[in-house]
Amino acid sequence: MSSAVTDSHLTQGRQRRPSGEPPPLPHEFNKVAVGWMIAFVFWAIIWIWIFLSDAPAKWITLRDLEMMAPIVDHRQSWLTPAMQRVNEIGTSWLTPILGWITIIVGLASKRIRHVLLLIASLSIVAAIQTVISIRIQRPRPLGMTIIGDWANSAQPSRPVALLTTAMMCFGLTLVPAGTWRRWWIGITIATLTVFGFAQVYVAVDHPSDVLPAATVGVAVALVLYRVAAPEAVFPIRYRTGNTAHLDVTGARGEAIRLGLEHQLGVDVMSVTPVGLAGSAGSTPLRVSQQDGPDLFAKLYASSHLRSDRSYKLGRTLLYGRLEDEQHFTSVRRLVQHEDYMLHVMRRAGIDCMEPRGIVEITPDREYLLVSEFLDGAVEISEVEVTPDLIDAGLQTVLSMWDAGLAHRDIKPANIMVQGDRLRLIDVAFAQIRPSPWREAVDLANMMLVLALGSSAEVVYERALLYFSEADIAEAFAASRGVTLPSALRTDVRRDGRELMERFRELAPERKPVAIQRWSLRRLGLTMWVAIVTLALISIFVDNLSDIGLL
Amino acid sequence: MGAAARQFTRVSRWCTIIVSIAVLAPTSSACSVENAQPMPNCETGGTGNIGAQSVPTATLVLCLDPLPAGWEADHVRIDQDGMIVRFDSDRAGDDAAILHYTATCDIGDAVRSPSEQEGAERFEDIERIEPGLRAQRYYVFDGGCIWWEFDFDPGATAALAIDLGDRLQTITREALNESVRESFIDVEL
Repeated sequence: MSSAVTDSHLTQGRQRRPSGEPPPLPHEFNKVAVGWMIAFVFWAIIWIWIFLSDAPAKWITLRDLEMMAPIVDHRQSWLTPAMQRVNEIGTSWLTPILGWITIIVGLASKRIRHVLLLIASLSIVAAIQTVISIRIQRPRPLGMTIIGDWANSAQPSRPVALLTTAMMCFGLTLVPAGTWRRWWIGITIATLTVFGFAQVYVAVDHPSDVLPAATVGVAVALVLYRVAAPEAVFPIRYRTGNTAHLDVTGARGEAIRLGLEHQLGVDVMSVTPVGLAGSAGSTPLRVSQQDGPDLFAKLYASSHLRSDRSYKLGRTLLYGRLEDEQHFTSVRRLVQHEDYMLHVMRRAGIDCMEPRGIVEITPDREYLLVSEFLDGAVEISEVEVTPDLIDAGLQTVLSMWDAGLAHRDIKPANIMVQGDRLRLIDVAFAQIRPSPWREAVDLANMMLVLALGSSAEVVYERALLYFSEADIAEAFAASRGVTLPSALRTDVRRDGRELMERFRELAPERKPVAIQRWSLRRLGLTMWVAIVTLALISIFVDNLSDIGLL
Repeated sequence: MGAAARQFTRVSRWCTIIVSIAVLAPTSSACSVENAQPMPNCETGGTGNIGAQSVPTATLVLCLDPLPAGWEADHVRIDQDGMIVRFDSDRAGDDAAILHYTATCDIGDAVRSPSEQEGAERFEDIERIEPGLRAQRYYVFDGGCIWWEFDFDPGATAALAIDLGDRLQTITREALNESVRESFIDVEL
């Protein structure tokens, strides 16, 4: 039974969500993207109709020519060179320039996902345009003097489609939502209007070539980005901060309040981000109650699930399967695991946070793991590490060994000092019945954390009270730079005392524990990743011109 | 979950989906991103009208009958400067023949020969026949030029060029305009 149930101040006000009632934050597909998809489907129906019958093609072409005639027949000598220049720039220059800026700045700002989406968007739009143009074979405007650059058949306009896609992707990859994004949308509309008019003016495209092309460009880019990089999960920001952290204002903030109130009976006063610097895989929050102690909550979303999958895939490629690398299949299971591990850790006598329950924000997509808030606690790196704290840290590892547990992410940010208590947090990676190698690494990492605030000699001396020399020798024989969490690795490097080497000198000599595990699965996986990556690069390079980047 | 969890976002599963799309879309012949067109086909029309628009001064417009066995139109490019069709052969090799349709052409030292295309003069420039044919054939007419470039792999018989060349047909722009007026709308190309 959850502690939430036993705590009187948490049991009040809890409500079961009746069938049919929406969750706190219902999952809704972006309405704008849906609108553009409908417009895309409209054009798709027209294309199919044209493919099946000449009648709509004749009607549309006549209407196009009627619309174009006043423009083409009254070309102005002062305007024509400008329109030809716009046609040339839009057809040959603008798409590659915008595309490469997006790729370069996107990579520089670590938006790999967005950059891949740009390439995917341009590829899909180019493929759609190719398929439609080959099927329909529409000539350039009939009976008109063409005075611009063009290539192949007209419907839908390839340069307009690719430029629209490039401008959309530029905005969705590089421009922060809000005022800046609105400005960019305005610039996009203005640019495409001028370019579309120029295409008609120089008679390389009909109006009905331009409009569906723009529709395809917007629809494909918008849908791909909204599905694979939703703004709420991957916001475009230029201030420092972790991209794993979700925006907890607005609708999500309100949903968090509602979820806490209805599902845990918490009377929320405020929800504020806390300790963002030390947390990469979730969004940590401090929940203040009207009447009761503050609570700690970790918000998990599908982005964190993907990070977990990627992390485990990466580990499998780097080491093989040293331990369980099975990824979580849903956010719900990820949160359930951490909640369960908190209970298991506490049952084993390990001083970690008391779990208070799980709140469903969006079914299967976003959950809040609620626990006690460590009031007044500070990260171990911010205090002097006394012998008592060293003992507490070593006892924690010993307790885990005794209970057959491993934390697997021991680093300063996950070890808090509250008064004279050393408290272990963030048990998302914790494992029951880990491999001996992992247990040994936990000990080494804990000793390194403790030594950062004291010395290797003191920690080694205290460790001998709990562990044998052989245990300690095994711990450092099992450890390498790559077995340290990256934050701990950075701290050890910055410390400059060669702590790892010092511990190895203090401990009896032991042959390093091999951490590479080769298997057919690892070989196959490595080859698969390499082949897919090479194929992607090869096809990307081969198609640079066809997707508008050359 | 630790900071290390972010280190491998580049290879996450959704990336696989994107990668698959990016890989499959261009490689699937049905969904190629390549900005290519079918050849101008005398029976089905194909890109004949668009080809005619690429050289608006030309009095003759080209099309091709179904190709002989072993030949394939690999790439068709039509733009404001004309049309290029590249042909692969299972015996003469890739790009063994290239057909150009342009407003002008430089016939160099090519010598006149009897033309089977009404309204066009024919010129031949044969650089070599063995080990593989290398030659140019030009059809020059008012406002335009159609020319073949043959460059066969060693061992391929020069007769293949005759087979392929026989598939070239020309029609007058007036005839094509009449066809458009009858079958589509009352305008000229």
